[in-house]
Amino acid sequence: MATPLIQIDSLVKQYTRDTQVLTVLDRLSLNVEDGDFVALMGPSGSGKTTLLNLIAGIDRPTSGRILVGDAEVSKMSEAALAKWRSQNVGFIFQLYNLVPVLTAYENVELPLLLTNLNRARRRKQVELALSVVGLADRMDHYPRQLSGGQEQRVAIARAIATDPKLLVADEPTGDLDAKSGEEILTLMERLNAEFKKTIVMVTHDPKAASRAHRLVHLDKGVLKEDVHAEKGKAVGMAAAVSASAT
Amino acid sequence: MKFFPYVFKSLFRKKTRSLLTLGSILLPLFVICVMGTLLRTLERQPTGQGMFRLVTRHKVSLSNWIPEAYRARIQQLGGIEDMSIWCWFGGKYVDYSAKNMFARFGVEPEKLLKVFDEARVVQGSAADWIQDRSGAMVGDALMKKYGWTLGQKVVLAGDIYPVNLELTIRAVYTADNASALFFNWAYVEEALPRVKGRIGTFYIRAKDAEAVARLPKQIDEMFDNTDAPTKTETEKDFQNGFVSMLGNVQLMLTGISTAIVFVILLIAANTMSMAARERLNEIAVLRTLGYPKGTILGMILGESLLLALLGGFLGLGLFALGFPGFKAALMNSPMAGMAAGMRIFPSVLAAGFGVAVFVGLVAGIVPAVGAARRSITDGLRQVG
Repeated sequence: MATPLIQIDSLVKQYTRDTQVLTVLDRLSLNVEDGDFVALMGPSGSGKTTLLNLIAGIDRPTSGRILVGDAEVSKMSEAALAKWRSQNVGFIFQLYNLVPVLTAYENVELPLLLTNLNRARRRKQVELALSVVGLADRMDHYPRQLSGGQEQRVAIARAIATDPKLLVADEPTGDLDAKSGEEILTLMERLNAEFKKTIVMVTHDPKAASRAHRLVHLDKGVLKEDVHAEKGKAVGMAAAVSASAT
Repeated sequence: MKFFPYVFKSLFRKKTRSLLTLGSILLPLFVICVMGTLLRTLERQPTGQGMFRLVTRHKVSLSNWIPEAYRARIQQLGGIEDMSIWCWFGGKYVDYSAKNMFARFGVEPEKLLKVFDEARVVQGSAADWIQDRSGAMVGDALMKKYGWTLGQKVVLAGDIYPVNLELTIRAVYTADNASALFFNWAYVEEALPRVKGRIGTFYIRAKDAEAVARLPKQIDEMFDNTDAPTKTETEKDFQNGFVSMLGNVQLMLTGISTAIVFVILLIAANTMSMAARERLNEIAVLRTLGYPKGTILGMILGESLLLALLGGFLGLGLFALGFPGFKAALMNSPMAGMAAGMRIFPSVLAAGFGVAVFVGLVAGIVPAVGAARRSITDGLRQVG
C-alpha cells in the first residue's frame, strides 16, 4: 500500500485564554491518501478549520505530528514553512480573498512571484491556470468586475498556479449561490480527477461534501466518523453524517 | 522589482487618503527646502578673496562713525592687500517702500575693485566709473530689477546725509550678490564737508589667512582706548551680525524645519498604520501563499518609502520650479541683499531627499513589523 500523503498522529491543539486552556483538537490521528478528496465536516467549533490550518502549515500544533509527503510540517521553522507552503499547498478561501487592487492575472501571479520563474514563464503558468478555471478571457478584470463564482475561480487558479500537490479549501462554496457553488465543486472534482490534486475541504454543506470521496466528521476536536464513499452514494452519506452531527 | 506593481497599486487603493498624504509631505518639504536655502545662504562662506576680507567698524554700533585717519595706522600692521571705506548712504529711491530698498554704499571706486575683487564688470567700464565723480557701479541683479540701462541717471534723496545724489550708471558688475549700488564717497564729502574724515566702515582685504587671524585683534587693541574704539571681524561674521539682529535665525529655522519633519512623520506614519491595519486579512493571505515575513515587511516599508519619495520628488520639483519666483519676490523686499546670493543648493535638495527617505522608512517600520509579525490565523479571521 502506498504511503499516505498526509499522516496525522495524536494531534493536539490548545489555545489559552487568560488562565483557561481550550482544547480544539484532542489526540486526533488521520491519514489522507495521495489523490484523495476529503471533506471535513462538523459543527462550528469542532476544529475543522484548525485542522485544515495545521495540515496547511499556517498554524502550529500544541503536540502531535503532521507529515505531508516527506515534510514534517509540525516541526518546520516559520521560514521553512512559508517556503514549503508556496511550493506544496494551494489555498481556497470562503471569501475568495483576492487582492482588490490587482487584476485576475496579477492575483494568480502572486504565488509565482516567489518562484525563480521569469516573466514569460510566469505568464504561461498564469494563463494556463486561468484557462483551467475557464477565465482566460477575464485576466485583466479586477475582482470587483467579476461575479462571486468567477472570483472563486480566480482564487482556485491562484491556488493551482504553482501546481501544488495539495489543495486546502475552507468553505469554498459558503459565500456562493447554488449554481456558482455547483460550478466550483465541479471544478474541484476535475482538479482532483484530472490533475490528481489531493483536496482537503472544510464544509458545512452536505451537498458539497457529497462530491468528496471521503467524509471526516469532527466533533469537539475528536474524529467521530470517517466514511469512504462510493461515487453515487455520497449524497446520502453526507446527509447522514450531517444529520448525525445535529 | 517583481513586487513593485503590487506595492504601487496598494499605495493608491485609497486615492484620496494617499493624495492628501502626498500633499502633507510635498508642501512641508517645499517649505523645508525654502528654509534650508535661507539657512545655507546665511551660512555660506565667502569664496576666493572674499575669504580674506575683514570689516572694521565702530565698537558701539554701525551708526557711529570712525575716523578715516585710522586707515594709515591699520595699514602699518602689515598683511593688508588694500582697504576701502564703505559707508551706508541710506536715503530714498522713488519712495521708502520695501520694493525700492536696496544697498547703496559710498566707496573709493579704485580701492573697492581691489578689495571686492570677485566683482566682474560686465557693462561699461571700471575706468569710466573711477573717472566720473558722480558715477555709480550697479549690480546686474539690480539693473535687471529696475530695467536700468548704462548711462541712466539714478537719483538718491539723502536722509542721514542731507544731500541728493544724482548718479550716472557707468559700470555694471556681476558677483554672487550683485544687488548693490556703489558710488564715490567723495561725492558726499564734497557736498557735505562736515562729514569729511568720518566714515562708517573699512573693508579690508588681508593678504592671507594668517593676516585674517591676526588683524582683528591687533586693530581693535590699537583703538581700544580712543574715542572711537573699533570692532573688526570677518566679512561673514559681519553679515551674520545683521541676521542675528533678528534673533538666532539659524536656530529658529532649524527648529521649525525639525518640527515640520516631525509632523510629516506623524502624518505618514498614521497613513501607513491605517493602510496596514486595513489589510490584515490580505497580508495574512499573502503569508498563506508563502510570502516570508521579510518580504511582507519589505513590501509595506516599500509602500511607505514610495509614498514619501513621491511626495519628496514632487516637493523638490515644486521648489525647483517655484524658486525663481520666490527669489524674485525676495529681490523686491528688504532681503534683496541676501536674496541675490540665493540659489538652488544641491546640499539642500539632498537634505530634502534625505528627509523624504527618513520619513518613508520611519513611518513604515512600525506598521510593517506589526503586519509581518501578526499570526496568519489571526489575520485570516479579519474580515477583508
